[in-house]
Amino acid sequence: MSQTVLEINQLETSFTRDKQKIKILRGVNFSVNKGEVVGLVGESGSGKSLTSLSIMQLFHDTTGKIDKGTIKFNDQELTKMTESQMRKLRGKQISMIFQEPMTSLNPVLKIGRQLMESIRLHLNYDKEQSRKHAIEMLKKVGIGRAEELMDEYPHQLSGGMRQRVMIAMAMSCNPSLLIADEPTTALDVTIQAQILELMKGLKQDHETAILLITHDLGVVAEMCDRVVVMYAGEVVEEADVFELFANPKHPYTSGLIRSVPKIGENKEELDSIKGQVPSPSNMPTGCKFAPRCEKAMAICNEAAPPMLNINQNSKCSCWLYEKKDVTVHNE
Amino acid sequence: MSTTVIDSKKAQQPAAQYSPLKEFWRNYKKKKVALIASVFIFLLIVIAFIGPYIAPYDPYEPNYDAILEGPSAAHFAGTDEYGRDIFSRLLVGTKISLTVSFSAVFLGLIAGTILGLISGYFGGRVDKVIMRCCDVFFSFPDLLLAIAIVAILGPGINNVIIAVMIFSVPSFARLVRGATLSAKENVYVEAAKSMGASHTRIIFKHIFPETISELIIFVTMRVGTAILAASGLSFLGLGASPETPEWGVMLSSGRDYLGTASHVVLMPGIAIFLTVLAFNLIGDGLRDVLDPKIKNS
Amino acid sequence: MNNILVVENLKKKFQISGGLFEKKEFVNAVMDVSFHIKEGETFSLVGESGCGKSTTGRLITRLVDVTEGKIVVNGKDVAQAKNSELTHLRESVQMIFQDPYASLNPRMKVKDLIAEPLVIHTKLSKEERDKLVYEMLEIVGLNAEHANRYAHEFSGGQRQRIGIARALITKPKLIIADEPVSALDVSIQSQILNLLKKLQKEFNLSYLFISHDLSVVEYISHRVGVMYLGTIVEQGDKEAIFKNPLHPYTKALLSSVPIADPTMRKEKMVLKGDIPNPKNPPSGCTFHTRCPLATDICKQQIPKMKQINDKQQVACHLVNEN
Repeated sequence: MSQTVLEINQLETSFTRDKQKIKILRGVNFSVNKGEVVGLVGESGSGKSLTSLSIMQLFHDTTGKIDKGTIKFNDQELTKMTESQMRKLRGKQISMIFQEPMTSLNPVLKIGRQLMESIRLHLNYDKEQSRKHAIEMLKKVGIGRAEELMDEYPHQLSGGMRQRVMIAMAMSCNPSLLIADEPTTALDVTIQAQILELMKGLKQDHETAILLITHDLGVVAEMCDRVVVMYAGEVVEEADVFELFANPKHPYTSGLIRSVPKIGENKEELDSIKGQVPSPSNMPTGCKFAPRCEKAMAICNEAAPPMLNINQNSKCSCWLYEKKDVTVHNE
Repeated sequence: MSTTVIDSKKAQQPAAQYSPLKEFWRNYKKKKVALIASVFIFLLIVIAFIGPYIAPYDPYEPNYDAILEGPSAAHFAGTDEYGRDIFSRLLVGTKISLTVSFSAVFLGLIAGTILGLISGYFGGRVDKVIMRCCDVFFSFPDLLLAIAIVAILGPGINNVIIAVMIFSVPSFARLVRGATLSAKENVYVEAAKSMGASHTRIIFKHIFPETISELIIFVTMRVGTAILAASGLSFLGLGASPETPEWGVMLSSGRDYLGTASHVVLMPGIAIFLTVLAFNLIGDGLRDVLDPKIKNS
Repeated sequence: MNNILVVENLKKKFQISGGLFEKKEFVNAVMDVSFHIKEGETFSLVGESGCGKSTTGRLITRLVDVTEGKIVVNGKDVAQAKNSELTHLRESVQMIFQDPYASLNPRMKVKDLIAEPLVIHTKLSKEERDKLVYEMLEIVGLNAEHANRYAHEFSGGQRQRIGIARALITKPKLIIADEPVSALDVSIQSQILNLLKKLQKEFNLSYLFISHDLSVVEYISHRVGVMYLGTIVEQGDKEAIFKNPLHPYTKALLSSVPIADPTMRKEKMVLKGDIPNPKNPPSGCTFHTRCPLATDICKQQIPKMKQINDKQQVACHLVNEN
């Protein structure tokens, strides 16, 4: 059994707006093992990005707050940590890359200075060592003119280059978990291919666990070992990537897969899921997907389905599988 | 995000219809100070209409038996150097002060808005010419410019209105131009263009509404300034004729008695002060509610 | 079938600097683009950022002025059209925009948004306009209760439906859709794509579909043009382009698209380097800096568009008819 790096249990996170608490995450469970790429998939409003911010406890100046649940990272409990303990962890043991690298790079500081800063902070290197290490990292992410780049500013780089720099920065302290939030969404296809290739290579070399958050099923199929599908703040299905695409269990997952046009498929009409994601302030009781589900039964509107172990490769939270020969998954 | 999502099938019951005006009132109600100021201005406007009818004395009629009397039960605000009741004069003067400032600002608003819209929307050479002209006006201090204009046109209430209007135009033009420039960037403006909408339609249907909230804020502030300017001109003897109960004139004629009967100056002074303050407070309140930059923070 | 749109040697130069004391600098956003769209057909322009696909769309509706070339809509060259001619063009060619949040005026009610083209182009009475609006709402899958609401009360997919209703209300023949689904969630995206296809059949519409997403393009198009740095490098029938891409860039682009099926993971043809800055494009074939097959001639000569077979045209020195 491989070593578990991250284990999230019953995580609930909410925002407060106009003195009203709005629950966004409603009990999220999943884990990430060493050297594994786990895809966290969902549409806007599914809570996938908030899950990553909850792990990092980066709510900035928003009103986000973890209400319940545990986040275990290498035997440390993150929800109980103080801000200063978290700060030591971020960037060293857990790193994060974002969709738009420009927002996480400081526009007025040179690339080199920003890279070296986190290296010196976390690895206690002196100036000379950290510069060497920074250049080495830039070369590792495929930047040929690493030395020159150290003295350039972020706005002088293209989107793809900036994302490489972000990855170099994220990987510089050899973290055990890398959270990548839509890392290629803002990039062009040919550049996306470069970055995905790079991330695959880094994972092989360093055995880093990667939590890849994306809405793009193509990227998931390409990169991930295991997939967690989220809908309206809950995990609806978790499965091995091959199992998920070949044999999706949850009606939402199968609807999602069927609604993506695939090259070479030549469909006359795409399948689609009717309706839209419910708003957090107006959640249906019972299964959150029931109003859009074609297979909805009476019970779906009454009670939320439990997470069921379908087989060793997949779990699914859907009443369709209740009566079949499965055991209720207790945690 | 404050979007409410409507399910195409469900939610047929007409939930509280969104209305921009209701939304505004809901937020404005919370601004207590601005609300009090609004009530004050509302009362002033009422007085402007009914002032002459409720005034206890004739504001023009001298009474040589009661010269420079202090405030008393008979004369709430005392009497001036000709024995005229100051309170009555203030009531009647409200109309003059408000008319002058409102009409000056209104005229300035119209001219400035048109220039600003043209300048911002069309850009290029038109924009340059209009903005350079505004720069010339901006390089004079407001009051000095007004004095110069009245000096050329000759004293009188109407000329005061024109003078105050002229120095308002560039400020309005610049404000509207800025708002227009940012409104022009909206994709829906481009969409309107792609539909074949004429310039006039784009300007008035899609761009002008974007400038309204900023304009409302600015107008209220500007009315305060206009009252000050008009009073200032009258104080200098360039505005209303000496017998009119205009607040600036009253201030001016009373200044000789500052040491002996200070209420003659104090009463119109307080009137001007409170009115200008009230307009500025309303402006601040409106800004908090309407300005998108502040609203989102 | 008739050609609804013929574009010939279209060029657009943007001035990017050149104030009083600056040297004038230009960007060639579109260089010599030619294509045509038939009645009832979808032609897609696909490419990465900065390839000029959006500019091409905006040139056709004349949102930006044409530097050079011909745009023939319904047999009439409108490249330099002015005033009433231009207004007429914009009645027969409508646009659908990428961002359904930004392209609808937040101060207008849905029925006024949809009726706007009618107000501009027709002299219909309010009742007649309302009737058409309600019909159109039905056609795009919204209902009458939505007419009196404001756009911000709707989700992205519904807003795009409003945008489509507005584009269709004057019964145009040609619709220019600039990335109409890229801001939408996957499950909503397919709803809108299906709707566009359905409407095309119903009204015999022609689409110029502009997108960066190859899977979407394959689904919706009849013919495709692949753009790179302001030029079309390959165009032809959809099946031919997707099954048998000839230009090295088309090949790389297709190979780069991640496919939503893990059993189809394959070695990719990953292009090296970045897309060059359009301000300073490479000499000769603009793709030579990233092309794995580039030779000397590619650096010197701009390749001409050649008909390779009855289905495909390619601009590459290395591809020849057989």
